[in-house]
Amino acid sequence: MLGSVERDLAHRALDTARTRGATYADARFVRRAVEDVLVKNGHLQNVDRSDIFGFSVRAIADGAWGFAASPVLTADEADRVAALAVEVARASALTKREDARLAPVKPVTATYTTPVEIDPWTMRFDERLQPLLDADAAMRQAQPTLRTTRASYEIWREEKLFVSSEGADIAQTLYETGASIAAESVGNGEQQIRTYPGSGGRSQNTAGWEYALKWELAKNAPRLADEAVALLTAKQCPQDIRTSVILSSNQLMLQCHESCGHPIELDRALGTGAAFAGTSFLTPDRLGSFRFGSEHVNIAIDSTRTGGLGTFGYDDEGVPASEGWAVKDGVFVGYLMSRETAAALGKTSNGTMRADGWSRLPLIRMTNVSVMPGSAGTLEDLIADTDDGIYMDTNRSWSIDDKRLNFQFGTQLGWEIKNGKRTTMLRNPTYTGMTPEFWGSCDAVCSESEWVMWGTPNCGKGQPGQIGHTGHGAAPARFRNVRVGVVN
Amino acid sequence: MSGVTVGEGALRSICDRALQAVDGDQAEVVVIARNAALTRFANAAIHQNVVSREAELRVRVVRGTRVAMVTTDRLDDEGVRLVARDASDLAKITPENPTFGGLAGDRDLVPAPSAYVERTAEATPLDRARAAKQLCDAARGASLSAAGYVATNMQELAIANSLGVWAYSAATTSDAELAVLGDAGSGFAQRLSLDVRTLDIAGCAREAVDKAKAAQKPRDLAPGTYEVVLEPYAVRDLIAFLGSQLTGNAVEEGRSFVTGKLGQKVTGDVTLVDDPFDPKGLPRGFDLEGQPSQRLTLIERGVAKAVVYDSQTAYRTGQKNTGHALPPNPFQPAAPMHLRLEPGTKTREELIKESKRAVLITRFWYTRWVHQLRTIVTGMTRDGTFAIEDGEIAYPVKNFRFTQSYHDALGGTLGIGRDLSLLVPGEQFGLQVSSYRVPALRLGAFTFTGATQY
Repeated sequence: MLGSVERDLAHRALDTARTRGATYADARFVRRAVEDVLVKNGHLQNVDRSDIFGFSVRAIADGAWGFAASPVLTADEADRVAALAVEVARASALTKREDARLAPVKPVTATYTTPVEIDPWTMRFDERLQPLLDADAAMRQAQPTLRTTRASYEIWREEKLFVSSEGADIAQTLYETGASIAAESVGNGEQQIRTYPGSGGRSQNTAGWEYALKWELAKNAPRLADEAVALLTAKQCPQDIRTSVILSSNQLMLQCHESCGHPIELDRALGTGAAFAGTSFLTPDRLGSFRFGSEHVNIAIDSTRTGGLGTFGYDDEGVPASEGWAVKDGVFVGYLMSRETAAALGKTSNGTMRADGWSRLPLIRMTNVSVMPGSAGTLEDLIADTDDGIYMDTNRSWSIDDKRLNFQFGTQLGWEIKNGKRTTMLRNPTYTGMTPEFWGSCDAVCSESEWVMWGTPNCGKGQPGQIGHTGHGAAPARFRNVRVGVVN
Repeated sequence: MSGVTVGEGALRSICDRALQAVDGDQAEVVVIARNAALTRFANAAIHQNVVSREAELRVRVVRGTRVAMVTTDRLDDEGVRLVARDASDLAKITPENPTFGGLAGDRDLVPAPSAYVERTAEATPLDRARAAKQLCDAARGASLSAAGYVATNMQELAIANSLGVWAYSAATTSDAELAVLGDAGSGFAQRLSLDVRTLDIAGCAREAVDKAKAAQKPRDLAPGTYEVVLEPYAVRDLIAFLGSQLTGNAVEEGRSFVTGKLGQKVTGDVTLVDDPFDPKGLPRGFDLEGQPSQRLTLIERGVAKAVVYDSQTAYRTGQKNTGHALPPNPFQPAAPMHLRLEPGTKTREELIKESKRAVLITRFWYTRWVHQLRTIVTGMTRDGTFAIEDGEIAYPVKNFRFTQSYHDALGGTLGIGRDLSLLVPGEQFGLQVSSYRVPALRLGAFTFTGATQY
C-alpha cells in the first residue's frame, strides 16, 4: 500500500495548487502492476509485465477544472504538475458559463484492500502458466483441425492514494484476476469462434487466483473446441424473423452494459460526451418515471458486492462504495453520478468516478451494474418453458447507437428451441431492437442459482481514451417477439 | 530540439543502458515519451482539460527461444536497471517458444519527412482553450450547441536492440473535433495538422455548423439497400476495418478476406496503399521493431496485391518482413499504419450530382465486426445523414443501422473523390498509429437494416 513518501508529495502538490489559487484540489498516486500471459497454438506466445507508477493533480481555479499528470515522483515535479493543473484550470475558465460545483462528501482517512484467497503475485510463474498450457492442449487434442487456440490470463494489482484539499486521505490496494480460452475454426467458407468463460474471452473479477481456477478451463476446453468446429457446418440462423430469445448469462451481461450501464451515466445524460460517446435516452426528466423494461427487470448499481470488477472501498473522488438501483420493477430510478454531476441534480454522488491509472482524469464509470435474478429457475427450466425460440450464447458482435437505443448484437452460438427443448445448433445468430421495447419484452429472468458476476476489463470511454473495468451480474433471461437474423 | 522533448541523445543513452543491463542472448528496448494535452468541451463550455507527461520503457529479453517483456514508466537510472533485471529474470523461467524467430537485425532505414513541429510541441493550455472557444462561439452564433475537443500531442519513439537496430522519431499532431447539435439533428467535422498554426479551426467550425443547420428535422426513410455517398469520415471506417485484415497474421489465422486471393480481384476499382513516407500524412519510416517500413500497394484497382508483416509473423509464415510491426502483442502484431485510398477525379459535389437517388453519410458510429471473413460490419450513421434526389441534397433523414460487407460495398464503387482528407489517427498501446488519408466515395449499394427515431 502506498505510504508516507507519496503522501508527502501529495500534500506538497496540494499546497502548491492552493498557493496558485486553486479553491479545490486532489492528488492521486497510482501504481499498477499487470501481468498478461497468452498461450497460442500450444506455445507461450506472450509474457508481458508492467509496473506503472505516477500521479496527477486535479484542481478547480477561477471556477473551472484543470488536470495535469506525470510519472516523475519528485518534489519539484509535484510543484510543476500542481501549478500546471491550476494554469490549465484558468485556461478552462475562458469558456466558463458557471462555476464548477461539487456535491458534498465527508472527507475520510481510510484504507481498503480487495479480499483475495490466493494472491497470484506470490505464486510461481509456472503455477500460473500450467492451467493455460493444459487448456490449450485439451482444445487441440479434442479438435486437431482448429486453426487457432488461445489461453490467457491477466493479473492486476493497483495501489492508489487519494488526498484532497478537503482532508480526505484514502489508500487502497485492488487486485484483479481474469482468465480465458478461445477456439477458432476455419472451413466451409466460414470462420467461427468460441470463447470461455466470457465474450471476447476473459472475464475478470476483483479477486485472486481462485477466480482463474474456478472456471476449470481445461475441463471446458474439449466442449469449446467441439462447438467451434461444429459451427462451421451448423445451420445458419434464420433471417429476419421475430421469435422468443433466451440470452445466456454472459450475453445478458453485455446487453445490460451497453443498453443500461452506459445510458445511466449522468455525464453522458448531461451531454458532456455528446461529440464522441453520444448522449442518453435516459434524460433527467425521465428519472423516477420512465418505464425502462418490464416488471421483471431490476438492475442494481452496487460497488460493494464481493468480486465485482466495479468493487472498491472508495471511488477516485473519495466517495465511499454504495448500493442502489438503476431500474426497479422496470422503472428507471437511478444514475451513476460524480460529485459534480450529482450537484447538478441536487443529489449526492454514489461514488462512480474512476480513472484509468495515474495519467487520466476520473470519469463516471459503471461500477457493478447488474440484472438481478428473477424466479424462472435454471436455464434448463426456462428453455423447457419456451415453446419456440432461440437460445443465444456468448457475445461475438455488439453495436448500439449514440443515444443507446438502437442495438444489434451477435452471439457465437445459437440453439433452436422447439417444444421446450434445444434442438439444432445455429451459426451466426444476431438480434436487434430498441432498448426500452426490448427490455419491456422480458418476461422471465432465471433464479439466483444461475446468476454470475461477470467482469468486462475493456470498456472504452472518454477523450483521451480510457479503458474501464466494470462488473455485471446476470442470469439467463427470456425476451419475446425479438427481431432475429440480420446478416447481410 | 527543445526542452519539451526528451531528445534523441537522452533516449539513446537510456536504451544503451538498458541493453547493457540485460542478461540474455538478445534484447530489445522501446521507449515512448509523450506530452499529451486535450481540451474537451460540451454544452459550449470546457469541462475537461488535461495535460500529461507520459513515458513507457519496454524491455524484451530473449534467451534461446524464451522471451519475456517488462514495461515501466521510469526513465531514471534505477528504473532502467530494474526493468532490465526483471525482464532478464522472467526470460529465464518462461518455456521455450519454438515459433519465435529471434529479433530482427539491423537494416538501413530510409529517412522519412519530418513530422515534428516545434510550435505544436510548445502549445499552451491557453492556445487550446482559445481554439475551443472559437468552436463553441461558432455554434452559439448559429443558436446551436457545441461539443468536441482540441488536442496537441508530441511523441518520441526510440527503438534499439542488441543486433544493432537504432531508430528514433519525434512527431507532433494537433487536432480538433466538433459536433454541433440542434434540437433535432447534428453536424460533425474534424481537422488534423502536424502544425498547430495551420490547424483549420475556422474551417472545422464552418463545416460542422453548416452540416448541423442542414440536418435539422430529419425525415423517415425506410431501411433498405441504397446508393450512398460517403464523406471521408465514413470512408475512414471502411478502410480501417479492411486494413486490419490486410496483415500476415489475419491471413495466417484464416480470417482475412484476401486469404488465398493475392493476385485476384477482391473488391471494386480502388487502390489502397500503405505509405509511411507520405509527406501529407503522419510519416515515419520504421516500425515498432525499428525495421524499415515499406511503401506497399495493398489493393491495386481492386486486386489484392500484398499484406503487411512484422518479423515474427514473417518468420512463421516464410514471408518477407515488410516493417509494419506494432508493439509486441499476440493479437495484432502488425498493421498498415499509413493508409491512403488513392484519389479519383471527382469533386464531392460531382459525386452528389451524379447520384439520382442516394443517401449521403457524414460518419459511422459504433461499428463492429459481425463476420470478419466476409468483412460484414454493423454500425450506425451519425451527425448528418441526407437523402440525395436528382443530384441534390434533398432533405435530412433519420439515422440508420447498417449491416454490410465492407469489401462488397467497395466492390460497387461508382466514383472516387479527388480530395484526400487527413483524419485523426487511431491510438493503440499509448502511441498514435494508423493515420488515414481518404477521399469521399460514391458506392452503388449499401444495406441499411434498421432505423432510429432521430
